[in-house]
Amino acid sequence: MNKLLFTVSRPPYAGSAVMEQIEAALVAAVFDLEVSLLFRDDGVWALQRDQDGTLLGHRSVHKALSGLGAYDIQKIYVCEAALAARGIDRSDLCIAARTLSLSEQQTLIASQDAVIGAQT
Amino acid sequence: MKFAIAVHSSPYASAANHRALRFCASVLRKGHEISRVFFYHHGVYTALTTQVPPQDEANTLTAWQTLAVEHNIELSVCIANALKRGVLSETERARYERSATTLADHFELVGLGQLIDAIIGSDRYIEFPA
Repeated sequence: MNKLLFTVSRPPYAGSAVMEQIEAALVAAVFDLEVSLLFRDDGVWALQRDQDGTLLGHRSVHKALSGLGAYDIQKIYVCEAALAARGIDRSDLCIAARTLSLSEQQTLIASQDAVIGAQT
Repeated sequence: MKFAIAVHSSPYASAANHRALRFCASVLRKGHEISRVFFYHHGVYTALTTQVPPQDEANTLTAWQTLAVEHNIELSVCIANALKRGVLSETERARYERSATTLADHFELVGLGQLIDAIIGSDRYIEFPA
């Protein structure tokens, strides 16, 4: 297995799941695997710019996201419908992410060897 | 076929932990192999040695231990998640100067790399969310 997709579908500060999912993706990148990240459902809030998790006693997801490039994780995707449903514009995002329709997400998922966080 | 398993749910919070156990037992019964079970997020509570479930309820901890011993399966617990929740091996108890060791026998505290290692070395990765 060398193509791993990590999905983020929980909101960023409703627990530590999002941060830990990003950490797992970073670790996978160290293994020299083809790592992709997909933000969907409430997970798209993690990409909203100008957030400060420290006000809620959390580490800011921002900082972890800005480290993705350093680990050579370039394949970052976001669900187009989830952004639209929440009124988030692409210009509101803190990192460059490619928007995908639901059918494009199906294609992405089908092309992977394993999906991590599919139901979380 | 070789399976890697991840458990995200604590033993009595939902049916997920018990379902993971039953899934593992079925996989083994069918002649497949399990490379490693990785306990992540709240799943680390599975390895808490001080839990005392009532006698008329399934003892999840003992069930995992029996499975591990009988089939030689690694029970790997995410160290960062475990420390945060007070699941400490003797080494970590000493390092952080806490009063009790709370990691059950047959479980091991490991880094996230062990999860990725198990996934890439397997044919299937199955996750049991909280």
